[in-house]
Amino acid sequence: MKGKLESSERERLVEEGKNLKESLVTLEEDLVKLKDELQHVAQSIPNMTHPDVPVGGEDSSAIRKEVGCPREFNFPIKDHLQLGKDLDLIDFDSAAEVSGSKFFYLKNEAVLLEMALLNWTLSQVMKKGYTPLTTPEIVRSSIVEKCGFQPRGDNTQVYSIDGTDQCLIGTAEIPLGGIHMDSILLESALPLKYIAFSHCFRTEAGAAGAATKGLYRVHQFSKAEMFVICRPEDSEFFHHELIQIEEDLFTSLGLHFKTLDMATADLGAPAYRKFDIEAWMPGFGRFGEISSASNCTDYQSRRLGIRYRPSEPLQTGPKKGKANLPATKFVHTLNATACAVPRMMVCLLENYQQEDGSVVIPEPLRPFMGGIELIKPKLK
Amino acid sequence: MSLHKLRLAAAVPLTISTFSSRLFLKPFPNTLTLGLFSRRLQQHKPLLVRAFSASATVQDIPATQTTVSSARPQWKASIDFKWIRDNKEAVEINIKNRNSNANLDVVLELYENMVNLQKEVERLREERNNVAKKMKGKLEPSERERLVEEGKSLKESLVSMEEDLVKLKDELQHVAQSIPNMTHPDVPVGGEDSSAIRKEVGCPREFHFQIKDHLQLGKDLDLIDFDSAAEVSGSKFFYLKNEAVLLEMALLNWTLSQVMKKGYTPLTTPEIVRSSIVEKCGFQPRGDNTQVYSIDGTDQCLIGTAEIPLGGIHMDSILLESALPLKYIAFSHCFRTEAGAAGAATKGLYRVHQFSKAEMFVICRPEDSEFFHHELIQIEEDLFTSLGLHFKTLDMATADLGAPAYRKFDIEAWMPGFGRFGEISSASNCTDYQSRRLGIRYRPSEPLQTGPKKGKANLPATKFVHTLNATACAVPRMMVCLLENNQQEDGSVVIPEPLRPFMGGIELIKPKLK
Repeated sequence: MKGKLESSERERLVEEGKNLKESLVTLEEDLVKLKDELQHVAQSIPNMTHPDVPVGGEDSSAIRKEVGCPREFNFPIKDHLQLGKDLDLIDFDSAAEVSGSKFFYLKNEAVLLEMALLNWTLSQVMKKGYTPLTTPEIVRSSIVEKCGFQPRGDNTQVYSIDGTDQCLIGTAEIPLGGIHMDSILLESALPLKYIAFSHCFRTEAGAAGAATKGLYRVHQFSKAEMFVICRPEDSEFFHHELIQIEEDLFTSLGLHFKTLDMATADLGAPAYRKFDIEAWMPGFGRFGEISSASNCTDYQSRRLGIRYRPSEPLQTGPKKGKANLPATKFVHTLNATACAVPRMMVCLLENYQQEDGSVVIPEPLRPFMGGIELIKPKLK
Repeated sequence: MSLHKLRLAAAVPLTISTFSSRLFLKPFPNTLTLGLFSRRLQQHKPLLVRAFSASATVQDIPATQTTVSSARPQWKASIDFKWIRDNKEAVEINIKNRNSNANLDVVLELYENMVNLQKEVERLREERNNVAKKMKGKLEPSERERLVEEGKSLKESLVSMEEDLVKLKDELQHVAQSIPNMTHPDVPVGGEDSSAIRKEVGCPREFHFQIKDHLQLGKDLDLIDFDSAAEVSGSKFFYLKNEAVLLEMALLNWTLSQVMKKGYTPLTTPEIVRSSIVEKCGFQPRGDNTQVYSIDGTDQCLIGTAEIPLGGIHMDSILLESALPLKYIAFSHCFRTEAGAAGAATKGLYRVHQFSKAEMFVICRPEDSEFFHHELIQIEEDLFTSLGLHFKTLDMATADLGAPAYRKFDIEAWMPGFGRFGEISSASNCTDYQSRRLGIRYRPSEPLQTGPKKGKANLPATKFVHTLNATACAVPRMMVCLLENNQQEDGSVVIPEPLRPFMGGIELIKPKLK
């Protein structure tokens, strides 16, 4: 239409232009809707799976390692609830009145034990080059979704705050994933390795049955969580580093446990591969999960928008423009439980109980508890 | 969502209330003289209740004004109305001094009416019993019929009167709950500027170089991250990093060990509680500008202080006198909306939505609360002196006391980055304000005497305990103080000696090489 035209020709072109514009507007609207719908359904496609992961349900998970063996008791043992009552360590009854079921107060040596567990874990993991952090426990619900959780589904694990778009975190993994969201990191900054301590809140909606007793399933607990951001080619290495750290921690505490390579039906949507550690809990008479280490590859980073720019290969040349920068790639993220306090407490109380009703404190924790070696029954 | 609409904003005068129009009965010939209560509704004035003569009629009350403005309170405070009535001048002066919205006149009037209505109800019951007794004897059929009629009328009157009594009691509760605690005679009367300085420790450090505030130190030493938290959570949230994490843990560990030495039992507490507990402690979870976060779809809230779950531990209990005092040091995370807090006093770590705090809580006999108030403030002063802080202890003036506090000592520490003092702790003696709401009583030990077998009737009557609470360590504000006061010219920060063993021996937070 910029050239010289006959008026009838111009008119024809104007008509054509108008039609094209109308078609475009509707098509573009449709495209947006289609893209949104595509996002919506595609977001639920789970991560791919590591080739070595066993295919199947719970029973198909493979045992990677077993450490220790169940302690033999020469006396009738108590479960952690009974020990908690007898040693005045745990109060579920008052908490039921104040807050509801699955809440509790820790008292006396149990408070010192929680602090010792967290202090000791922090110091051990820091030695491996992890940066300590504390995190917000209230986050925007979009972050929760980007990490692969569902804050507003039925039977959601997530507590929402009234009148806001905010939720309580169920794990420090969430605010950790959020730190670098929508960022481009330098390759030289990787890996980023964090050990974060937070309180965690879970509704435990839909969790019923025997696996809910006492400290085993609670609404609020303290946890130290490891989080790694690395290059794709390094995630397998860090998955092994994380599980090694966990195994070393639990071995130092004298626990009897198995490390499992979780089968496909038991992986969460974000996990490419997941190692769970289950420790022997004599009061329950079975193993119970005390930690989980997941390699989420780029599932979370694609949602959180965490990229890195590979370093440039070493070469000289004429002046480079932006076009010569290497393209960004998505990082890989991993997360692993260093210490979930209530479950650790179940293990320590039940495994270390003595016939006289006292509980022995594992050696590594004693310096962090003012040297206490034993939790003794209190005189009444 | 919670169903109850109880609003505990300090007693706003009720403009609309309702009482059943069935209350107004045709006068009975001869046999009964009922004091009838009529409630005339007046716009813009507090609810006034007057007794009318028996000839009052119903027509005064338009049918539209029969909605209940206040839902039934979910719980009752054991308020000593007699004492309030007998000391109403002192109570009124106290309300004024505290700038409270409580309306004593309404309370007293409602109380009088409640007492009178209670008497009427009892009288009617007695009449009804008499009628029932009479009916047991031998009677003429006309006499019997008359008595049956009388009995029926009495029953109807009783039913509606009892309903009205319940509503009156609820309303009385509702307005009376906002009457603030009485005040210690030594507390200065007035606003913020009237608070008295009880003690001053140390003096502001003189710096020979340009100082930084804690936010700048936090950035330069890679200790605090507000920016990422703003994206992830919103403003006034933060991550602590590196040595700041160790410092938080050292502060809490050290504080716990120091306070335990004074005989305080360590605890960790739930951070989600039922909202009724929050109210019983004297806070308002659902008012406008509430400090309290509520959980969606439940009657639960997040705690703003461990004082709340601590008060709840012994609620609705009778303790033995020998069990007192109960002394707790509890560590929890605290969550506050900080709605309505704007302006300069919100910078950085000074005002945040989530923080760690160690809180002391004491339950004791009434005669001991003054002693423990002084013990608590002494503990706080010792802690802060050990850390080398420069601070003032204030006896807070009447207008600055919260409703529960009989007396409140605040400690304000010097924050060079702000160039002013900032509150780092608060110690309140709540006497029986909280215990009357939480239902915490004790049974005095029996005096030493021998005698014939005692039945339950010989047990001493229970009394309400006194409760006190005091901040042992509010981590973010302590961190402001330590970072700003202990900074050095080279940008490093010195760790106070008492904390070093709890931080793996670290003496200095040094700038990191980049």
